[in-house]
Amino acid sequence: MINAVLVMNTQGKPRLTKFYKQVPVEKQQEIIRAIYAVLSSRGENYCNFADASNISGSDNKLVYKHFATLYFIFVVDGAESELAILDLIQVFVETLDRIFKNVCELDIVYNFNKVHTVLDEIVMGGQVVETNSADVMKAVQDIFKLERAV
Amino acid sequence: MALSGMRGLSVFISDVRNCQNKELERLRVDKELANVRTKFKHEKGLTPYEKKKYVWKMLYIYMLGYDVDFGHMETIALISAPKYAEKQVGYIVTSCLLNENHDFLRLVINTVRNDIIGRNETFQCLALTMVGNVGGKEFSESLAPDVQKLLISSSCRPLVRKKAALCLLRLYRKNPDVVNVDGWSDRMAQLLDERDIGVVTAVMSLLVSLVANNPDGYWNCVSKCVRLLERLTRSQDIPQEYTYYGIPSPWLQVKTMRVLQYFPSIEDPNIRRSLLEVLQRILMGTDVVKNVNKNNASHAVLFEALSLVMHLDAEKDMMSQCVALLGKFIAVREPNIRYLGLENMTRMLLVADVQESIKRHQAQIITSLKDPDISIRRRSLDLLYGMCDVSNAKDIVEELLQYLTTADFAIREELALKAAILAEKFAPDLSWYVDVILQLIEKAGDFVSDDIWYRVVQFVTNNEDLQAYSAAKARDYLDKPAVHETMVKVAGYLLGEYSHLLARRPGCSPREIFSIIHDKFPSVTTSTKAILLSSYTKILMHSQPGDPELLKQVLSVFKKFETYLDAEVQQRAVEYFALIQKGPSMVDIMAEMPKFPERQSALIKKAEDTDGDAADLSATKLRLQQQTSNAVVLVNQHSANGTSHLAPLSKVSSGSQNIDRGVLEQSHVGPQQNGMPVTAVGMAQSPNADLLGDLMAPLAIEAAPGSVPATQTSASLVPEEPSLGGSADPLALALLDGLSSSVQPTGSIQDWFNALCKKDSGVLYEDSFIQIGIKAEWRGSQGHVVIFLGNMQKVALTSVRATVLPPSHLRMQLLPVPETIPPRAQVQCPLDVLSLHASREVPVLDFSYSNSTVTVGSKLRLPVVMNKFLQPAPISPADFVTIWRTLSGPPNKLQEVVHGVKPMPLPEMKELFNSFHINVSPGLDPNLNNIVAATTFFSESGATLCLVRVETDPADRTQLRLTVASTDSSTTFELKEYIKEQLVDMSSITTTLPTNPATLGFTGPAAGLAGLL
Repeated sequence: MINAVLVMNTQGKPRLTKFYKQVPVEKQQEIIRAIYAVLSSRGENYCNFADASNISGSDNKLVYKHFATLYFIFVVDGAESELAILDLIQVFVETLDRIFKNVCELDIVYNFNKVHTVLDEIVMGGQVVETNSADVMKAVQDIFKLERAV
Repeated sequence: MALSGMRGLSVFISDVRNCQNKELERLRVDKELANVRTKFKHEKGLTPYEKKKYVWKMLYIYMLGYDVDFGHMETIALISAPKYAEKQVGYIVTSCLLNENHDFLRLVINTVRNDIIGRNETFQCLALTMVGNVGGKEFSESLAPDVQKLLISSSCRPLVRKKAALCLLRLYRKNPDVVNVDGWSDRMAQLLDERDIGVVTAVMSLLVSLVANNPDGYWNCVSKCVRLLERLTRSQDIPQEYTYYGIPSPWLQVKTMRVLQYFPSIEDPNIRRSLLEVLQRILMGTDVVKNVNKNNASHAVLFEALSLVMHLDAEKDMMSQCVALLGKFIAVREPNIRYLGLENMTRMLLVADVQESIKRHQAQIITSLKDPDISIRRRSLDLLYGMCDVSNAKDIVEELLQYLTTADFAIREELALKAAILAEKFAPDLSWYVDVILQLIEKAGDFVSDDIWYRVVQFVTNNEDLQAYSAAKARDYLDKPAVHETMVKVAGYLLGEYSHLLARRPGCSPREIFSIIHDKFPSVTTSTKAILLSSYTKILMHSQPGDPELLKQVLSVFKKFETYLDAEVQQRAVEYFALIQKGPSMVDIMAEMPKFPERQSALIKKAEDTDGDAADLSATKLRLQQQTSNAVVLVNQHSANGTSHLAPLSKVSSGSQNIDRGVLEQSHVGPQQNGMPVTAVGMAQSPNADLLGDLMAPLAIEAAPGSVPATQTSASLVPEEPSLGGSADPLALALLDGLSSSVQPTGSIQDWFNALCKKDSGVLYEDSFIQIGIKAEWRGSQGHVVIFLGNMQKVALTSVRATVLPPSHLRMQLLPVPETIPPRAQVQCPLDVLSLHASREVPVLDFSYSNSTVTVGSKLRLPVVMNKFLQPAPISPADFVTIWRTLSGPPNKLQEVVHGVKPMPLPEMKELFNSFHINVSPGLDPNLNNIVAATTFFSESGATLCLVRVETDPADRTQLRLTVASTDSSTTFELKEYIKEQLVDMSSITTTLPTNPATLGFTGPAAGLAGLL
């Protein structure tokens, strides 16, 4: 399953954190720092996977993608396919891109609540809900409409 | 850039972003928290907008890493709001902030249920998402039937149904009974026929979990999965929006193939044939293309297909096709594909007979060992390790050694361990093995654990042919200018034992050997010094007829260390000095080391441990694990009479019966323990050298290892042999199991606890099913304890529970343990400890598990004792006196006369203090019968220097006067009581055990029966 979804910038500042297993807040920060330490030492043309068994549990892996100033990171266990998760990150980012029209770090900082909404339509309880970006878009747009209809 | 739509929130985020440093950020956050708190507390009529704004702020602060311990009620209350916008915030923030055990969740169960069964789809989605993210037993009990209904209802929108599927999955994980419904597997099969790909994907995730736990219940889904896979690969009837870069829903393809791997095997010939056809098509039809995303997606499918082919144990042709593909992948530039190629090749090795074809790619794999990306290097190392056998061991190990010098630190330890294990498993000849290990120590001494050099010593001791060779090698290494301390240890040891075999060679006279070793003496630590002192004695003994010059030099070393600070070194120096005076009778005492009893390599055990997996295992993984557990276990041919030496390293492939007793125990076999007499101070004084001679004489030693435990030395040779203090014999245990199905620990829980109080790793508990080990690191007021739960049987242990009951002076955090420990697997549960203030209380680990027949539970004291938070405080006499004077009288300085102390010689008591990190400062007190010591106690509030003075009475060793002083009265009191307990407590254990013949005699089945009656 997917144990956590994190978005952090290249300075290690968390921009979105979502844990699907119970982790106390101090431990969450510890994990985030450890992940940043791993990612910041990795080069551009390295593979998109890194071992996380010392970070969040045995057989855990980081599957991540680097976009401009941001890392999108999924912490997954051995039951997930690494490449499929990579595709999922792509879907997540493409969806954000459509919603924010060329998403950038500031969009995510100031609209973390919307990003949570988007993520909830893609991943739920550590499992994939929807992989089809158009469907996700539609669900999210419906929600935004409802939100405005105060 | 779009703003969040809430001005106050945006302003706050801007403020935080503008903070120059962490400190300012904290101030800003604290201010905001105070603000939100007051708003919630005092202002009654907050508008919905304000409520939303504050709750979002709380989530933002939480994501920044600050604990938000209020406002939960307000968050939860939003869930019950009528408007969508408020409800949505309530649901999202609740699922981030609250965990499943939060009491408040109970308050909203009704609202959540109403949302789920209500007609508003958007509310249904919100509620399902929150429950799916949070889980929880109570949700599970009260909501499961409703969630089920949504999933199977054809009138619901797909959006709701896919969320219901995943929600049910979460509830199922908490409570498997939620799908305990008649005909549920038929329902699942029907759901696989759904037209909406999104719903099927979610159902497939649910099915993975269901099948993983109960493959027999869902056979009816196999054919559906295969048909679905056919449909997907042929792109039949797949809506355009579900093709991702031209590939029909890669996720669904991957998940479907994953499900099929959880079924033990697929017997039906027709289904199997069509499945293999589909897989064949995937294997053939995937090419590497330019577009990265397309590549990722197509290869996600391809790699899953490879896994499934392996799982199905397909025909040989198909397997070789897989190897060929993997061979292609490990050579491509694209790093992801290369990484997965290496990883899958490693898995392939374990499930199929493809060793030979993989070997053809050895050169390519070695190239990846030098890749800049550590993820790839790791995979390559794993693969090389897995593919190594007698034929290529030399090449591979030499590559590893060469790489070791340039490898980065992150991988060195693993590399060193793996090289050592391969050298041991597949050595074409033993001298090569010794060469490899010595090179390993030379190149990466810091990363060579003690286990590794203990193992060399064991091999050399048990193989006469190796002894002269190793001694010569050791001499050469030691002669180099800069030598790693581990090298000094192993070389010193080997030369002590075997340098006499070289005596005729140039530069190898006893005196020259001594001087080569002694050159290193000043720069090594005390534990090495102790080993070297033993070596000197042995060298001296072998120089018969005596070399007066050597004798003089050695004696002067011993003389010098008679008063050495470290008790072990001091004791050795004193004893050896006395022994040497005995002249020829020393030969008996210092005879060559006996052969070691054969046992499984601690290294291999260690490697197996590091491979340990968590609870969530795929079927292929499970199979792998079962296979690795009876993979190569190095067992040396045991000879009962101890005459034949170690058989060549042999490969025994079904060693799984033989339960490993853990690394910890094995590490006891270090030559130190087996080495020199560590018995009693009394030995040197004792006129009865015959007893000693008998014990240590060659004759006694040559006896079968099995008979040794009968003699008294056994206690020190094999300290962990559970023969003392009412502990049951393993045999008796087996009988007991059959009789009453009660499970008894294999040793004394008290002894294990006591041992762990003084060291940081070891066994806490063991019975025939489970072994609980502890490994701890302490730094100031903090501790990081890892609890290892090892299943020693071939059956999974279920309902595993472990909770810690912390006393009030400690803050502890134990991550939840997995409910099931797979057969022969080990799980690690980290436990973080923070000391708040001084106290003698200890936390209790409450654990239980079920094996197939019975539930076993126990409450174990955890060795988080006060001395773990102590650190020796070196202090100058002047400082000591000054501080001692300023702390006058109670409550900061407390004095007590302690009676009933275990009589022990002063050095032993000093050692006891040192072992608790209470640093004895010798010579500070003019009265030689007194001990003065200092230590620092660490707690959350800082470090407290504590001073201790013990005044003993040489005429009556059972009483003493104890004074403890520190700036904190409660620390003073607790430390005084703690020391008192140790001084008195020790006596009751050590004096009662040996003098109680009744308990000693009662081992074996009789003891078990007696225990029953």
